Amino acid sequence: MAAPRKKNAYAWRIWAVIAVIGLGAVVATLRLVQLQIIDHAEYAAQARRSHISQVSVSDRRGALLDRNGYPLAASEDSFNVMVERRAWENPEEAQVAANKISGATGVPASQMVDIVESVDVFEVPVARNLSFEQAEKVRELDLYGVRLLEGSKRVYPEGNLASQLLGFVGQDSGGLTGLEADLNPQLGGAAGTLTFERDGLGRELAIGERSESPALPGSDIVLTIDRYIQRLAEQELDKIMKDRSAQGGTIIVVQPKTGQVLAMASRPTFDLSKPDTSDETKQALYRNRAITDTYEPGSVFKLFTTAAALDLGLVSPTTPWNDSGVVKVDGWSIRNWDFSANGTQTVQQLLSKSLNTGAAWLAGLCGPDRFYDYVRRFGFGTLTNSGLSGEVEGKVRTPESDPGWRSVDAATNSFGQGLSATPLQMAMALAAIANGGTLMQPQFVKQIMGPTGTETVEPLVATQVTTPETARTLLDMMGVVVDGMSNYLDVSGYKVGGKSGTANITGENGGYKPGAYISSFAGIAPLNDPQLAILIKVDEPKDVPWGTVVAAPSFGRIAEQALAYMKIPPTEPVLVRGVQ
Amino acid sequence: MATQHRPFAQGRSWTSFTLPVILIGASFAVGLAALLPLVQSSGVTTTGGHIRQLEQERSTWQTQLQEQEVRVAQLGSLERIEREARERLKMVPPKEVHHISVDVPGPAPNRIPSRFLEDQPASPLARDNLWEEIASWLPLP
Repeated sequence: MAAPRKKNAYAWRIWAVIAVIGLGAVVATLRLVQLQIIDHAEYAAQARRSHISQVSVSDRRGALLDRNGYPLAASEDSFNVMVERRAWENPEEAQVAANKISGATGVPASQMVDIVESVDVFEVPVARNLSFEQAEKVRELDLYGVRLLEGSKRVYPEGNLASQLLGFVGQDSGGLTGLEADLNPQLGGAAGTLTFERDGLGRELAIGERSESPALPGSDIVLTIDRYIQRLAEQELDKIMKDRSAQGGTIIVVQPKTGQVLAMASRPTFDLSKPDTSDETKQALYRNRAITDTYEPGSVFKLFTTAAALDLGLVSPTTPWNDSGVVKVDGWSIRNWDFSANGTQTVQQLLSKSLNTGAAWLAGLCGPDRFYDYVRRFGFGTLTNSGLSGEVEGKVRTPESDPGWRSVDAATNSFGQGLSATPLQMAMALAAIANGGTLMQPQFVKQIMGPTGTETVEPLVATQVTTPETARTLLDMMGVVVDGMSNYLDVSGYKVGGKSGTANITGENGGYKPGAYISSFAGIAPLNDPQLAILIKVDEPKDVPWGTVVAAPSFGRIAEQALAYMKIPPTEPVLVRGVQ
Repeated sequence: MATQHRPFAQGRSWTSFTLPVILIGASFAVGLAALLPLVQSSGVTTTGGHIRQLEQERSTWQTQLQEQEVRVAQLGSLERIEREARERLKMVPPKEVHHISVDVPGPAPNRIPSRFLEDQPASPLARDNLWEEIASWLPLP
């Protein structure tokens, strides 16, 4: 009877063990159901995050090309040598590795070791902007804790040509100044995404999952700038700066029919390959003075006063007028630059002799409303819509805009004083005269060539300022003006026209700086069919301030070489030889 | 009796050998079928690796092409041309300019970078005529 009791006594224990195991199995099953079915998505995402990396990738930045396709700024791949700090903790091993890298890159080994020792980060670049060849040498060294990081660097095949206009990029390849900044959306393209499976050290698995949303490369942009004419302008500026010990200057060359800017140069300038953004004193060098700085244009402005009077039919080139040497306006006396009194003069002589009194007389004939209407229509006091950032409007005071305006303001404005304009405004207004009285918008971009196609930018008309007849008359008058400058200006084979200017410079306290002038010359070539409108402005030349002496010769040299380069046949047939 | 036939024994022998062979064969077939995905996977991985290698090679060539294009642009820069003309070729600016008009347009400059330019149609290769081609195969001097 004892045996069955014993059997029964063990039975509940067995069932108890089975129950515990069964319960455990049920709990484990439920947990598995929770992990693998209910919370599946969350844990799958966690697992994916732990072994999948996603990085942003970008393609090459677009190039800035001149109007004929020559690169002014382009990008090429570059490589940085990155070193893990812990890999160079042993000084002897670090020195050996640094010596090897130095042999491949030319960067001093001690400099690389110092860089690694001086920072407390996981990884640090010890050599930057290496070429592909240098990078390959470093790769072949196969050093522990050393890797190559691919990037991009901006190169300037034409050196510092048009530096302020082009601008430069930062370390992230984004545009910081100039066209590099203004055209950054087109040049930079669009970033893509690279997704890949990684190992425990974060490296991409060779046979792992990989997908890529490709980056869109930046567009190449064809500018209206012509590298040859731009170089001519810059060489002339450098010559003036040297010969005249000038403080600075600007030259702008415009194609009148289209408003396309062929050259825009300013001095002082900077080295495009080494811009130092940390140095506050150099910031002024980076701005494009042709659009950010204004000046009183002086006697060049008489062209526009004369245009207004001619277009209104108030005068013709032969209209007589008596120059007594002084004009009284609002109790102020306006005199000629040489304090001369010339007696009976014509409008043509007014322009040729650059008589302030004559300009004041013309402004008086027009009346303030009509005079300022023409000033506005020539583009003064408003933005040119160049598309360049940092452009300013200049200052034109009118009876409507300024309660303090007086009649003497119109008189002084008529010969380019008491108002201010940017060099670009002056060049475009000059180009309007050369373009039959039609003011064009300045154009800097000719074509945008991107991965999805090519977009051509068409010239835009801003407004019709004068009739073509008025513009033609004024061109002929400008030709007569230049005829009187033969000692300083001779463009052999071509008939050209222009007007010089010499203006005071406004000081910080509102008055004029004593002994400081801006010399300028605005010229058009050739007169029979204008192809070039050139503005030359020289800041504070020493010894001689006159625009005729300082700026006009540069116009002659630029026009002569540019016309030959553009294959514009000379108007004097003796110099032309035909070939069958 | 010496010539007695044993058809049953022959039939038994056929079935007794055939069934195991079929089973073994089937096992092998199943085993091979199980290996098939592995082979496929291996093939895909190898092809993927090959594609990646080719992409890397393409990237390398593109980098070198960019470098060469920049180098060409630098060699064609106005500053270098003038320096070479003055220093190496000893040229000087002209004292007199003669204008000569010709009615043939100059060659268009080769634009670089070239990545967004339309592909130029390949010019047909100049081929020898058939007989010259056949003759070129012969070991003639």
